[in-house]
Amino acid sequence: MPDFSLTPEQESLRDLARKFARTEMAPHAAECDKAGRFPEEIYRRGWELGLMNLNVPTEYGGSGLSVMDQCLIVEELAQGCGGMTTSIIANCLALEPIILGGTAEQRAQWLTPFCAEYHLASFCLTEPGGGSDAGALKTRARKEGDHYVLDGEKCFITNAPHASLYTVFATIDPQLGHKGITAFIVPRDTPGVAPGKDEDKMGHRASSTSTVHFEGVRVPVANRLGAEGEGFLMAMRTLDQTRTPIGALATGIGQAALDHAAKYALGRRSFGKPIAEHQAIQIKLANMVQSIRAARLLTWQAAVTIDRGERGSLESAIAKCYASDAAMHVADDAIQIFGGYGYMKEYPVEKLLRDAKLTQIYEGANEIQRIVISKELLRAYA
Amino acid sequence: MEIAVLIKPVPEAETRLRARTDGTQLDAEGVKFVLAGYDESAIEQALLLREATPGSKVRALAFGPAPRTEEVLRAALALGVDEVTWVESPAEGADDPGVVARALAFALARVPHELLLGGKQAGDDEEGLVTAAIAESLGIADFGSVVNLRVDSASGSLTFQRATEEGVESWTAPLPCAIALQQAWNDPRTAKLPNILKSRKMPIAKIPWAEVSAALGEAARPRSVAERFELPPARTGAKMIEYKSPEEAAETIVRLLREEAKVFP
Repeated sequence: MPDFSLTPEQESLRDLARKFARTEMAPHAAECDKAGRFPEEIYRRGWELGLMNLNVPTEYGGSGLSVMDQCLIVEELAQGCGGMTTSIIANCLALEPIILGGTAEQRAQWLTPFCAEYHLASFCLTEPGGGSDAGALKTRARKEGDHYVLDGEKCFITNAPHASLYTVFATIDPQLGHKGITAFIVPRDTPGVAPGKDEDKMGHRASSTSTVHFEGVRVPVANRLGAEGEGFLMAMRTLDQTRTPIGALATGIGQAALDHAAKYALGRRSFGKPIAEHQAIQIKLANMVQSIRAARLLTWQAAVTIDRGERGSLESAIAKCYASDAAMHVADDAIQIFGGYGYMKEYPVEKLLRDAKLTQIYEGANEIQRIVISKELLRAYA
Repeated sequence: MEIAVLIKPVPEAETRLRARTDGTQLDAEGVKFVLAGYDESAIEQALLLREATPGSKVRALAFGPAPRTEEVLRAALALGVDEVTWVESPAEGADDPGVVARALAFALARVPHELLLGGKQAGDDEEGLVTAAIAESLGIADFGSVVNLRVDSASGSLTFQRATEEGVESWTAPLPCAIALQQAWNDPRTAKLPNILKSRKMPIAKIPWAEVSAALGEAARPRSVAERFELPPARTGAKMIEYKSPEEAAETIVRLLREEAKVFP
């Protein structure tokens, strides 16, 4: 990795994702964005090609890819459509707690079906009363014999209306704070589980997002992941694994914005020459490419750190935070280069700004990332 | 059926090409070589025939230097080809189609090939000579620009069509024979991610150039050498017109077509 070159295998994986993004995602991105359509046929095709469940170990039928390889794939997919990419990689997020915290039996039982057939899973952590403050969640899990009974509401849950399985974080006792949080595997067909209606979102409109209600949901003790009270750490360790690919997703959105802007600048003319020959535009493009390349390198660094076996909280927080901020300002600059046309939905760049926005919010708002970063930083100086 | 498919690494369509400083050939530095076009169709055809004829095997062969040749063979493995053979060229490559054909014909002595399949031409130089030249040296029949290739399970013969200027020819041919396929009449499959990973670990049979050249002797020497390689000149003469209304733009274009391009009298 020090020479920043990819192996032939990594190039092949990237080529596959690029081909899928260009031929199967991008042609439908505008239509799905406009209609808020969840293109399940594209997700099924992505599953067939092995582009879903990238993190599931090979012994359960997954690809068992390193975080670095996942990032290469996710950046390419995001250039096809950010929203579709969110839905494609949501299984990685939902299944990661089982990979990290499941027993051998739980992994075999719950991971294998996702690799044998197309299924979606959702990660249920966020609640209406709090996203970033995950330790304060209110969904209750009360033990009754050999079952737990879950009651509560989750919100902003990706793929929830289409998922067959939820990994749910609930507290056995709110008094315990984050030490009461416990993780459960909850099949969608369990009585009392009710996903809400699809939210009407600003961006990522090809993805599906909804609430999920849990009312008297009886879950066998065998579906608990880890011990009681281990859920909070499991959620944090999950996000440590999946945060870096969000940096890659944001980098992909930024790269798409730069590609559109540079091509447009070479073709569009003002004052007798292509606008790419005006320094005002050249400086914008130079800033854009710097941000994207820095985002990519930070993402790769975080990925390599995690793949070495380190937790990588600092590196992944920096990567996700920087790349998502970069995607926002690069998409903003792309619109500015397009001028009035950039503001029109007929052109592709305004969607990129709307899609970029979410990357600053989900999988840990950038404010939380900055708190993590500064805590780690100050610890080094204290 | 034992099927052998001939494939060739060619520059990716989006690659920006440039000539080598001595001006004799393409500068391969930094060029990404891929399995493309006609060859993908040929592999797809081979895999379809294998599926239709249980017990069949598909093997691919490619002639060329490292690492590009190994990469297209791995791409073939990822698509589902059973075995592959890399016939090494001199390090700088060898463009003479006669050398390519003789080297591959030499290698085919080790690769079962009741049916020899190729694209009707390579995606880069578009010469379309190699499959026919190999068929000639093996003494088997060959057919070009073939579509709708099927195997007749009763007789074991092949049936196919050739689209010509005059019409469509329908053919039946017994094995063995060589067939160069028209592009994209089938829809080539995409390699799945797990198969890409598996292909990295599969063996590639390699025949070193030293062995090929020793066996071919004089026949290993090219009979043709490229003198110059030039890219088409950059296009010039595009004229951007300024206008305030579509009517004005149309009037200006008609005037320019008449007065400058002299398309109209």
